[in-house]
Amino acid sequence: MRPVSRLSIFAVFLTLMAGLGCNTPQNTTRRSSLMDYLYPKQQGAPVPNPAGARLKLPLKLGIAFVPTGTSSWRVQGLIAPGQEKPLLDVVKQGFKDKPWVADIKLVPSTYLRTGGGFENMDQVARMYGVDIMALVSLDQIQYTDPKWYSFTYISVVGAYVLPGDANDTRTLIDAAVYDVASHTFLLRAPGQSQVKGSSSWAHREVQLREHSQKGLQLAMIDLAKNLDAEVASFKAEVASGERKDVDVVNRQGVSLRQSGGKNFGGSVSWLEALGVLLILGIALRLRRA
Amino acid sequence: MDPLSLTTDALREPWRLWTCHLAHFSWDHALANALALAVPLVLAPQRQRFRLLGVALIAAPLLSLLLLAGLEHGQYRGASGLACVLWAWVGLRLLSIKNSTPAGLLMLGGLLLKLAAETVFGSCILLRPEGWQALPAAHLWGTFLGLTCALPVRFRTHHA
Repeated sequence: MRPVSRLSIFAVFLTLMAGLGCNTPQNTTRRSSLMDYLYPKQQGAPVPNPAGARLKLPLKLGIAFVPTGTSSWRVQGLIAPGQEKPLLDVVKQGFKDKPWVADIKLVPSTYLRTGGGFENMDQVARMYGVDIMALVSLDQIQYTDPKWYSFTYISVVGAYVLPGDANDTRTLIDAAVYDVASHTFLLRAPGQSQVKGSSSWAHREVQLREHSQKGLQLAMIDLAKNLDAEVASFKAEVASGERKDVDVVNRQGVSLRQSGGKNFGGSVSWLEALGVLLILGIALRLRRA
Repeated sequence: MDPLSLTTDALREPWRLWTCHLAHFSWDHALANALALAVPLVLAPQRQRFRLLGVALIAAPLLSLLLLAGLEHGQYRGASGLACVLWAWVGLRLLSIKNSTPAGLLMLGGLLLKLAAETVFGSCILLRPEGWQALPAAHLWGTFLGLTCALPVRFRTHHA
């Protein structure tokens, strides 16, 4: 029997190491930052307008994805070409019937410059004729962890057949709404999602791409829901005078702050409630008599 | 946004036409309105209590639709509008029932007094709502609906 050469043992060792090395935990982070876009490092934060924001209902709203570090978010590959519009449409559909919205414009992220600041936002807002802008930033992390039987990947067949990768995609979307005229921050709302799955080594990238898109969709649906709630609480804050930097004026020119939010109630006062009991008592007595 | 109160969303979410009368701004608001609702339920003739429930179910969305026009971006909650419907309905019905006429007069008189006070003072007496304001229109429309639903009333005739 021929002895096994040292070279063969070394080759097998290297193959084993490579196989196991392929399947260590991995994570990928993709991020676009609102702060990097509005307040690039070379610029100081602009002084807020002391007059504050005066919003005239109904409002024209623009929505856009914030560009990321060196190029637009779309170019980095998180959002596939043509996917940006359906994602923004989720928010548009949620708000199209709201009485305070006159129109919603979807602004392509290619129109926003990296680190463009409020100057760029103003340009885009003027181009689309919108009163307020919702700037959507994204944060997506994808984790891939090996399952206990992922060592079977070294058989090569296992890498194509067995789902030894546990994939977890977590997405956080944040929409910040600004008044274009005064650059006043109005409100923010988050949207989040988590998508989990298992894949074989060979199918990992395909599944991560699918999960990335699905995660974005689910997070946008969550965002639309949360945005609705945030608008309601924003309105209540303006009406109660908590937000002194913002006022909302309706079609008739009546200020929301002055009208007290127009929360109406059908009410019986305690004096009337006492009267009610008195009437009940007398009526029952009369009936018995 | 609260899913039960009456807003312009009611045109897409019709349950609001009913639920706004059950939703309230605070516990004392709900309790005072519950007292007002209890009176017509207690005083209504036993045979007409089911009909009273029917009136409440039909009048509730009608009242909501009447209020919608003036709400704009606001919201409405509270059962007192519906209570006014029932007070007017039961009051008018009691007028036609032997031995119950004084009770009916008392109810209609009380209701009239409330409406008059609201017309003069603009709101309920001694009520200090926080973050919302009373809506006298709800009581006025409620009374109108209650009286309309109760008609025609056959008044008792006194034979010599």
